Amino acid sequence: MKRKDTVKLISADEMEFIIDKDAAMVSQTIGGFAEMELGEVTFPEISAVILEKICQYFYWALQYSRGKETEFHIEPELTLELMMAPNYLHT
Amino acid sequence: MPVLRSREILPVQPKPLKARANIDPPATPTQGREQPATRSSPPSLIPSPKTLGSVSGSAPILRRSLRLSTRASSNAGQDGVLEAEEPIERRNGDVSRKRKLSADNDVGLESGEDKGVLSLRSGKRVTKKGPFGDGNGSEGDVEVEIDRKGKSMLVEESEDTEKPERSKERVNVKGKRRYSREEKGKGKLLVESALESKDESLVDGSVSDVELLAQEVNLSNEKPSKKNNRRTSQGRMERFRDTARENASRFAHFSTQEEDDNILSTEAESEIPSEEPEEKGVEDWPGPFSTAMKIIRDRAANFNVRQGSSSSDKVQYLQIKWVPQKGKRKDWSKRLPPSLLDLSLRVLVDNADAIASLAHVPDALRHKLCHMLCDSRRMNSNFFDLLLNGSPIEIRLKDCSWLTEEQFNQCFEKCDTINLTILQLDYCGHCLADYSLPSTLARSPNSLPALTTLSLTGAYRLSDAGLSALVSSAPALRSVNLSQCSFLTHSAIDILATSLASVLLELFIDDCQSIDAMLVLPSLKKLEHLEVLSVAGLESVTDSFIKEFLIARGDGIKELILMDCWKLTDSSLKIIAETCSNLRALDIGNISKLTDTSFGYLASGCRSLQSLKLCRNAFSDDAIAAFLEMSGEVLKELALNNVGKVGLNTALSLARRSRNLVSLDLSWCRNLTDEAMGLIVDSCLSLRVLKLFGCSQITDVFLYGHSNAKVEIIGLKLSPLLEHIKTPAQGPLQYSSVSVGCQ
Repeated sequence: MKRKDTVKLISADEMEFIIDKDAAMVSQTIGGFAEMELGEVTFPEISAVILEKICQYFYWALQYSRGKETEFHIEPELTLELMMAPNYLHT
Repeated sequence: MPVLRSREILPVQPKPLKARANIDPPATPTQGREQPATRSSPPSLIPSPKTLGSVSGSAPILRRSLRLSTRASSNAGQDGVLEAEEPIERRNGDVSRKRKLSADNDVGLESGEDKGVLSLRSGKRVTKKGPFGDGNGSEGDVEVEIDRKGKSMLVEESEDTEKPERSKERVNVKGKRRYSREEKGKGKLLVESALESKDESLVDGSVSDVELLAQEVNLSNEKPSKKNNRRTSQGRMERFRDTARENASRFAHFSTQEEDDNILSTEAESEIPSEEPEEKGVEDWPGPFSTAMKIIRDRAANFNVRQGSSSSDKVQYLQIKWVPQKGKRKDWSKRLPPSLLDLSLRVLVDNADAIASLAHVPDALRHKLCHMLCDSRRMNSNFFDLLLNGSPIEIRLKDCSWLTEEQFNQCFEKCDTINLTILQLDYCGHCLADYSLPSTLARSPNSLPALTTLSLTGAYRLSDAGLSALVSSAPALRSVNLSQCSFLTHSAIDILATSLASVLLELFIDDCQSIDAMLVLPSLKKLEHLEVLSVAGLESVTDSFIKEFLIARGDGIKELILMDCWKLTDSSLKIIAETCSNLRALDIGNISKLTDTSFGYLASGCRSLQSLKLCRNAFSDDAIAAFLEMSGEVLKELALNNVGKVGLNTALSLARRSRNLVSLDLSWCRNLTDEAMGLIVDSCLSLRVLKLFGCSQITDVFLYGHSNAKVEIIGLKLSPLLEHIKTPAQGPLQYSSVSVGCQ
């Protein structure tokens, strides 16, 4: 049931996250990858927990840009790692 | 700032006035003066001279030195004397001439030629003085004050003027009246022109007054002065008080221009006199620049001609064709969600104490964290320890004021500095002293083997000996920032130069008050590869310093920061243009003596200039426009902060030429309209940052009407103030790359 407008993100521990393409486009890097690699991107350095949070962020950012401005909560324990991932993702 | 009139006045019969003259706000009459050419002064500029009701006739001063016959020279003097609007703006106080109507002066000076007599405030007669020799007492010289109460008096000449048409009148009006303000307890400013040749001053004063009056009277363009109306309805004393009140604050303001002037006269010897007088300099400009200038001026002239300028009052109102977009989304910035990085950083900053380790965090992120922590004052020694843990490579602390000496010692004693490449401890005066160095930073010679960049700004307890110890521990230093280390003297720089002669690339000695530029000169010349030099704020920097240094090292210099070195003149710029062919960045803010000639030099000499920063300079719109026409393509960063004359010509040139411009600062440039701004922003497609502090004339028409999605406009609406001060991510050096041996 793989629809065409989704992207699959695979974490280091091989958890797969399927998200909409729109959400993935929030990150230019992923958007670019997805184009090339048939909609599947692997992130060997990013763990599942972090990747999950990143996906949540994508959806939140989509919502934000459509007008609904809410707050995005991040558990402090995750933050350090979380901080390093987007550094790489948003290039 | 334009040259003050006072310097150009030809001395003419000084005597009687000289005795009394008190030169204060120089050129008060000049303040009122305007260049005939640039008459488009906004209405707000010229408050009509106020008439102080008829002062008690007892004023003895009304002596009008009457040398009307000698006025002939006035015309000639005019040009030199007239100044641009700017001083007028500032000197509103001056401009408001308080006049004392003296019966004597009021003698019916009327010339038939004029369209009658215009009755200005308080029923003074305004008469036009035609040809010279009209001499009545009224063409007075500047008057010396009458009684003062410990304040300087301003005697303003206000002439009886009529409402001349600007186009003709400027030069012709000769009628002048001397008025003095009698009010007790209020300061009277003595018009400085009294000192100089009276003729010139008188004429100038009269002309300016006339112009002022003319403007005032010319209702088609200007709003009638409120004072005017008010005055007619109030009593004399009220008027006195009002004008006093209004002008008091202006009198209180002491213009730096005057200061400069005073100092100028005493320190002229340290300046290199320019070989050609300024007026002649225009023709001596290198070909392309003067051509460009001509084009710009013609552009305006042609436009005026086309307009069939009947309105001689509105000079040079070039039209900018720019239409704001309709129906566009309102606020570009609102739509962008904050990035995940920013969000996480914010959470981290809030919970900084809970961070257990910064291992694996890349340096760039560490710097960001430090930056944010320092800004929110949450930085503490725990975090500092985390930073110093392991074997750090880069440490950047923009603010060490929270750090105590003890903490500093503790932290650094156990720090492994073997890999340290960048060490930035700004504002470390509180914690850094000579005696703490041996145990922390300067443990042994070569204890900082990899240190390339060192910044210890504000280390006010660091002495020459301390610096010497540091330098011996860090033999590979390439960039040293010692701004505001007020204890250091030229011997410190000498030490630097001796040990680091072949490696030092960047040196910042801003505001090091104990360093004398001329004494430092030999050491600076020893630095073979210096690329960046900053001597901002050092008062001892003169033209000869620049000349000697650049002749020796100019071709390697890539960035020169000369902000606040107010003694420099155009000849320095000439030398810069001749010697620094590789110059990429130049900062000449607050150097008020520079004139348009400098731009001529720059345009022809420094072809690879990417960043130019001006602040409060006196350049004219035309010169900046011409410079942009010639060198605008390469420019990436331009700051025209408070360069008041920036106007439509500059806007047009920016739009046409500045394709690569990334950052533009037009704060306080009040002559730029919404259309001009819109044109700039829509044409400069690389523009990302536009600073518009103080531009209250910009409205939503521009803010919501421009179509450049990527530009960030700072300074207008309520934007978080400090956000525009972003420290760019920096490597160890600005222009060269460091060959990193260890990593």
